[in-house]
Amino acid sequence: MAFALEISGLSKTYPNGVQALGDVSLTIHPGMYGLLGPNGAGKSTLMRTLATLQDADAGTARLGDIDVLRDKDAVRRILGYLPQDFGVYPKVSAEELLDHLARLKGLNDKATRRDVVATLLQQTNLYDVRKKALGGFSGGMRQRFGIAQALLGDPKLIIVDEPTAGLDPEERVRFHNLLADIGENVIVILSTHIVSDVSDLCAQMAIINKGRVLLTGAPQTLTARLANRVWQRAVARSELEGVKAKLPVISTRLVSGRTLVNVVSDGAPGEGFVPVDATLEDVYFAAISGRLNAASAVPQAA
Amino acid sequence: MRNALAIAGFEASTRLRRISTWVYFAVFFALAMFWVAAAGGIIKSAVISFGSGKIWVNSPYAISQTVSFLGMVGLSIIAAIMGRAVQQDFEYRVEHFFFSAPIRKWEYLGGRFAGAIVVLLIILSSIALGGLAALMLPGLDADRIGPIRPLAYILPYFTVLLPNLLVLGGIFFCVAALTRRMLPVYIGSAILLIGFLAAQGLLRDMTNKTLASLLDPFGVVATSQLTAYWSISDRNLRLVPFEGFLLWNRLVWLAIGAAIIGLTTWRFRMAQAGSSGRQRVAAPEDKSAEPMAVHAQRVVPEAVSGWRLLPRLVWLNFRETVKNIYFGVIALSGILFLVVTSSTAGDIFGTNTWPVTWQMLDLLSGTFAVFMLVIITFYAGELTWRERENRLDQIHDALPIPTWLPFLGKLLALMLVPVVLQAMLMLCGLGIQMAKGYHHYELGLYFRGLFGIELIDYWLVCVLAMTVHSLVNQKYLGHFIMIVYFIFISFAGALGFEHNLYKYGVSPTIVYSDMNGFGHFLLRTRVFQTYWALGALLLAIAAYLFWVRGTTAAWRGRVAIARRRFTVPVAALSAAGAIAMAGFGAFIFYNTNVLNQYLTADDVLARQAEYEKKYKNLADVPQPKVIAVKVAADLYPRDQRVRMRGEYTLQNKTEQPIDTIHLLIAPGDTIKIDKLEFGAPATLTDSDVPIGKRTFKLASPLPPGGTIELTFDITNGAHGFTNSGAFTDVEYNGSFVNAASMLPLIGYQPRGELTADTDRKKFGLPPSERMRDRDDPKGLAINGLSPDSDYITFETTVSTDEDQIAIAPGYLQKEWKQDGRRYFEYKMDSPIANFYAYQSGRYAVKKDRWNDVAIEVYYHPGHEYNLDRMIAATKLGLDYFTTNFGPYQHKQFRIIEFPRYQSFAQSFPNTIPYSEGIGFIARVREGNKDDIDYPYYVTAHELAHQWWGHQLVAGDVQGGTMLIETLAQYSALMVMKHKYGEEKMEKFLQYEMDRYLLGRSTEQKKELPLSRVENQPYIHYRKGSVIMYALQDYIGEDNLNRAIRSFLEEHKFKGSPYPNTTQLLAQIRAVTPPQYQYVIDDMFESIVLYDNRAKSATAKVLPDGRYEVTLKVIANKRKADELGKETEVPIADWIDIGVLDADNKPLFLEKKKLDREETQFTIVVDRKPARAGIDPYNKLIDRRPKDNTIAVDIP
Repeated sequence: MAFALEISGLSKTYPNGVQALGDVSLTIHPGMYGLLGPNGAGKSTLMRTLATLQDADAGTARLGDIDVLRDKDAVRRILGYLPQDFGVYPKVSAEELLDHLARLKGLNDKATRRDVVATLLQQTNLYDVRKKALGGFSGGMRQRFGIAQALLGDPKLIIVDEPTAGLDPEERVRFHNLLADIGENVIVILSTHIVSDVSDLCAQMAIINKGRVLLTGAPQTLTARLANRVWQRAVARSELEGVKAKLPVISTRLVSGRTLVNVVSDGAPGEGFVPVDATLEDVYFAAISGRLNAASAVPQAA
Repeated sequence: MRNALAIAGFEASTRLRRISTWVYFAVFFALAMFWVAAAGGIIKSAVISFGSGKIWVNSPYAISQTVSFLGMVGLSIIAAIMGRAVQQDFEYRVEHFFFSAPIRKWEYLGGRFAGAIVVLLIILSSIALGGLAALMLPGLDADRIGPIRPLAYILPYFTVLLPNLLVLGGIFFCVAALTRRMLPVYIGSAILLIGFLAAQGLLRDMTNKTLASLLDPFGVVATSQLTAYWSISDRNLRLVPFEGFLLWNRLVWLAIGAAIIGLTTWRFRMAQAGSSGRQRVAAPEDKSAEPMAVHAQRVVPEAVSGWRLLPRLVWLNFRETVKNIYFGVIALSGILFLVVTSSTAGDIFGTNTWPVTWQMLDLLSGTFAVFMLVIITFYAGELTWRERENRLDQIHDALPIPTWLPFLGKLLALMLVPVVLQAMLMLCGLGIQMAKGYHHYELGLYFRGLFGIELIDYWLVCVLAMTVHSLVNQKYLGHFIMIVYFIFISFAGALGFEHNLYKYGVSPTIVYSDMNGFGHFLLRTRVFQTYWALGALLLAIAAYLFWVRGTTAAWRGRVAIARRRFTVPVAALSAAGAIAMAGFGAFIFYNTNVLNQYLTADDVLARQAEYEKKYKNLADVPQPKVIAVKVAADLYPRDQRVRMRGEYTLQNKTEQPIDTIHLLIAPGDTIKIDKLEFGAPATLTDSDVPIGKRTFKLASPLPPGGTIELTFDITNGAHGFTNSGAFTDVEYNGSFVNAASMLPLIGYQPRGELTADTDRKKFGLPPSERMRDRDDPKGLAINGLSPDSDYITFETTVSTDEDQIAIAPGYLQKEWKQDGRRYFEYKMDSPIANFYAYQSGRYAVKKDRWNDVAIEVYYHPGHEYNLDRMIAATKLGLDYFTTNFGPYQHKQFRIIEFPRYQSFAQSFPNTIPYSEGIGFIARVREGNKDDIDYPYYVTAHELAHQWWGHQLVAGDVQGGTMLIETLAQYSALMVMKHKYGEEKMEKFLQYEMDRYLLGRSTEQKKELPLSRVENQPYIHYRKGSVIMYALQDYIGEDNLNRAIRSFLEEHKFKGSPYPNTTQLLAQIRAVTPPQYQYVIDDMFESIVLYDNRAKSATAKVLPDGRYEVTLKVIANKRKADELGKETEVPIADWIDIGVLDADNKPLFLEKKKLDREETQFTIVVDRKPARAGIDPYNKLIDRRPKDNTIAVDIP
C-alpha cells in the first residue's frame, strides 16, 4: 500500500452546541471506502473537514506525509471533491466550467487540459452536451458533471458526499459504474445513507452515528458478525409495540402490508421467528440501534 | 381574501421577528433624531438647519423635509424588503409549496406585497418617531421648537411615503416577481435614483419646474417646488398641502406603479422557473448509455501559480459582471441621464455655456458619482457572493488555489467596472460636445479628470465595498453598511466632522480651470489619495484575512482562520502599509493643522464671536482714515505667494486727538507680517495674533487734521495645503488678490460680527441688528464700501513672472523687466474708494474704444466667445450711463478674467475682475428667444458700479446696498432693455423674481423692505431688479433717470456724510405723479405681494371685425412682516390690464385703478385676442404669475 488516510480523535462541536464529530478515528486505505450513517450523523462534517472546508476542534488526520488539517494546500492539490449539495453557473457550458476548474487545479498546459476535459466529458457521457449551458442539465447529468470535476487533475483522495441522493434508480446504477471504475490506487470516500451504495461498491466501510464511529471493516466481515443471529417474523400492527418493548428489534419494514420485524438474537427469540440471512442493512440497523453486540434476546417468561 | 390576509400576516410577522427589521428601524430612528437634534442646536459643532435658523425643527415643513429625505435614503431598504418578499421563495426554493396550494395568483402576490408594505411602514415610522423623540432631548434650543402638531407628522406619510412605498415598492416587487432575482431590483433602484438626480439637474432652467417635479419618483423635488416660495412664517405654520406639483407627481407615479403592478399580475406565472415566461435554458437531451470506463488520468497537475491565473480570473469575473442585460440597462440609463442633464449643464438664467471639457467633467462626475457608487456597492455584493449563490462554493473552495486569488480576482474585476463606465462617460462627454457643435476636444483632460483623478476615488470605494462584504458576510447588511458610509461622508461635514483624515476615500475638492489647469490642487489630491490608497491596502488585507473559504461562518472560527492567514509576509505588508499610511497621515496633518490653521465652520463662527466680544467696545472709538495708498505688490505665481510693501497715509478727520490706533489684519498662519510701523513714535501695546488685532499707542496723539504714515511689509501665501478650501489668490495662471484680504484695516470692523440669531445665541451673544438704521448719522458718516476711509489717492507697482501681465486699478505709467520679472506701475489720476485688487496671468488682450475711453478685455486665449458682447455692453452702457447719469470718471475700462474658483465679477475702479465661470464661456444663441445674454448683463452691471459704488458711495446703514446694487441692476436692465427689448426683459425678470422668492424663504434673520435692505442679495439684486423695472414702467424711464441723476449729482465724490435711500426716494417721489405715490411706499417701504389672477375672459366679434373682450380679474394684495406673515390689505392699486395676441404681444395694455377684489372690464381690440388678464407681464411680485392671464374664449 502506497499510503493511507489516518484519522484520529477528530472532534467538532458547532457553536449551537451540536456535536457533529466525537473522537472519530479511522484508517482508510486506497480503494472505495463507504461511510454509512443516517442523516445528521456527522458524515458531511467529516467530509468537509477532510476536504479542507472546515476546521476540526481536535484530532489529527494524516494522508501519507500530509497533515490534512494543517497543510490544506497540499491536500487540495491531490483532492477531488464532490459536495453533497452543489450548483453550477447556469449560463456556462459544461466544457467551459470544467476547463475553468481544470485551470484552477493546475492543468496549465492548454493542450493537455483540453485532452483531459474532453476525456472526462466522454467518460461521464457528457461529451455530446458539452456546449450546453449547465442550467438545463438534469439531476443525473449534473451529478456526472460533479464527478467529472472531482476527477480533474489525477486526485489521490476523492471525496464524494451523498452522490446518489436524488438520482433515479437508473441514474444511480450508472453512477455506481462510474465510481467503480475509478482507479484502485486512490482513496475514494463515499458517504451515503443508502446501504446498497456501500454494499455494491465498497471494500471497506464505517458506520457512524451521532458523530461517533460505531463500526468499521469490510462489508462481508461485518455481515458475518450477524450470521445466524438475525430472526424475522411478521407481526400485526397492534403487536408491534409489544414486540419492540420485549425484543431487540433492529428494523421493521412493511412488505405487502404486513410488518416484518428483524431481531438480533443468538437463539430463537420467540415463537414465529425464523432465521434469515444477515444483510449489511441488518448490520447497519443493528449498529445504529446499538444492538449489534446484544448477546441474546432473552424471551420474557410468560 | 382570507388567503391573502394569511400570506400578508405571515410575511409581516416573519419579517418583524427578524433582527434586521429592527436594526433598520433603529438606524432610521437614530438618523431622524440626530438630524433634528443637530438642527435644533444640540450638537455644538453642527452647522445645519432646515434652510434657516428661524425655521422650527418640528415645523410641518421641516418634518416633511425630514420624512421625505430620509424616506429616500430608505430606498435600499424598500428595495431589499419588497424584492425579497417575493424573490426569497425562489431563492429558497419553496415556491412550489405556494404554487401548488389552492391560492390564487393575486392572493399570493397581493399578500406578499401587503405584508412587505406593512413592515416597511413600521420601519419608516421610525423617522417621525425619531424626529419626535429628538424634541425631548435636553439642550434643544427653545427658540427652534414650535408647537407639536400630530398632523404634521402624519401627513407626509400619506402624501409622500406611502405613495412611495406603493409605487417604488410595487416596482421593486414586480421586478423581483418577474425576474426572480434581486440584482434587477437594485438596478431598478439605481434608475429611480437617476430620475431624482435628473430632476434636480433640470431645475437649473426655470422652465423645467413642472417636468422636474413630475420626473422625481420620490416626490422630493415636487415637495420642494411646492413649498419653494413659502416664507419663513409659512414654513413654520403651514401644513404641506396635497396639491399642485405634489399631487400631480403622486398621481403620475401611482399610475405608473399601477400599470406595472397590473402587468406583473398578468405576466406572473405560478410555476417553477424555466416553465414561466421565457424558457431560459433549453434542457439538453441526455444521450448517455452505459458510461465508458473511467481510466485514471495520468496527467499530473503542476503547482498552481496564482499570479498566472489572476488575469484570467479577473477577466472571467469582469465578463460575468458586465456581460448581462442589467449592466447594459445601467449603462444606458446612465447615458440617458447625462443627455437629459446636459441640456441644462452650467446654465445661468436658463442659458447654456459652451460645453467646455471641465464642464463636461463636472457633469459626468457630479451627480453620476452617486450612481457609480451604487453600482460599485451592488456589484461588490454580487461578486463576493457569486459562488455561494450558485452553490459552487464548496467545489471552488477545495481547489488548490491560494485564498487571495479569488478575492483579488473579484476585487480587480470590480475595479474594472468603473474603468468601463468612465470610458463610457468620456464617450458621452465627447458625444455631447459634438452634438452641441463644440469641437475643441481635450482628450488629455478627459483622461486626467476621469481616469487620473476620479477613478482612483472609485477604486478606493471598490476596496471598501469588497472589504465590507467580506467582513460582514451578509449581503443585504453589507449593502446597508455601504449606504451608511455614503451618508456619513455626505453629511459628516454639516455635523462638524470636517477633517478628511477620517473620512475614508475622501480627498478635498479639486477644481479644474481652463486658466490654471488643476493648479495647486493636484498635489493635495494626490497626497490624500495616496493616504487612502494605503488605507485601502490595509482594508484589502483585512478582507483577505476574513475572506470566507469553506463553511465556517461563526466569528470565532473566522478569527482563527484569519490568524492563520496572518503570516509573516502578510504581517510585514500590513505593518509597512500602516506605517506608510501613518506617515502620509502625519504629513497631511502637518500641512492641514500645523502649517495651516485647521478651522471647522464652527471654529470660524467662534472666532467671529470672540472678535465681537473682545473688541465691540472699540466700535465708536475715533480712528484716523486712510487718505493715500502706495503699494508695491510682488506676485510669485509659482510659489503661490504675494508680498505687499507700502504705506498708508492716515488722517485724523475727527475733532479730537487720537492716541491709539487699532489695526485688523486677516488672521491666519498664511499671513506673515515683516513690518508694521508708524511714521511717528508708536508702541505696539497689544497683539492678538489669533484674531489678527493689533493696537498701537502713539507717543504723541494725532491732532485733528493731522496725518501719519503707516508702513507695512506683509506676505500672504499658501503654506503646504489645507483640509478644505484653498488659497487661490495667487495661482500659476490667473491670480486675483483683493488687498483687503491681507492689508491692515483701521478700527473695529462690525462686518466681522455674526448676524444670524441662532449663531449669536450659540456663542452667547445677544441678538443684534445687522446694520444701523438708515437715517443714523453715525452710519451715514461711514463709507459703506470701505469703512476705514473716504476717498484715497492710489499708486502702485506690481511685479509678476516674466510671461504674465499684472493689473491693478489706475493707468499704466511704466512697464519694465528686471531680474526675470515683469513690473507694472499704475497710478490713479483721481481719488478712488479704498478698494483695489491685483491680478496676474498669461492674458491675451482685446482692445476697443468708446469716445475717449479705452476698453480692454484681458482674457484667457480660447475664451474669445463673448468678448464682443462684453465690449458692446460696455459701449452701450457708457453711452446710456453718461447720457442719463453723468460722465464716466476714468479714461479706461478693463475686464480681466480670473479662474473659476469664485464665480462673480467685481467692480474696482476702472477694473473689473470677471470669473471665467460666469460669462466668458456663455453660449448665447443669436435670435433664440429663451437665451439671456448674461455676459452682456454682467458687464453692464459691473460697468454701472463705476457710477454706483465708485462715484456714489452709500453710508454704512440699512438700504446702503440698494444705492449700490439695486441701482447697478437697474442700470444694466435699462441697457439690456434697449438692446434686446421688453420681451427679453420679461424672461430675465422671471428669474429675478424666482430668486427673490426663493431667497426670502431662507432668510436667516428678517426680511426688510428694499429701502432698508441689510446687505441681503436676494433683496438688493433680485427684488431690486423687479421693483426698479416696475417703477420705470409706472413713472417712466426718463423721469426715473432724472431723479437718479439729480441724486447722483448731489452726492458724488462728496465723502462723509454719505447718502441713504431716504434721499434717493425723495428724489424719486418728486418725479412721481400723485396717484403713484403709494407705489413708492409699497415697493420700497414695505414687503408687498400680490396674488392676482384672471378669472374669465370671453370675446365676441363686433360687426366692424374688431373684438370685444369681457375680462374678469381678481386682485389681491398682501403685506408681509419680516418673517413673511401676511396680512391682506385693501386694494386701491393701478395695475396693468392687458389683452394679448397669440405671440404674447399686447393688443391692449393699460394701467387701471382697481379698488375691489373682483373687477370686470370690457375692452375692444383690433385683432384676434389670445390671452387676457391682470398684470400680464408680471411686473408685480406675485408667487403665481401663470394665472395672471387666461385664454380668451371666443364662442
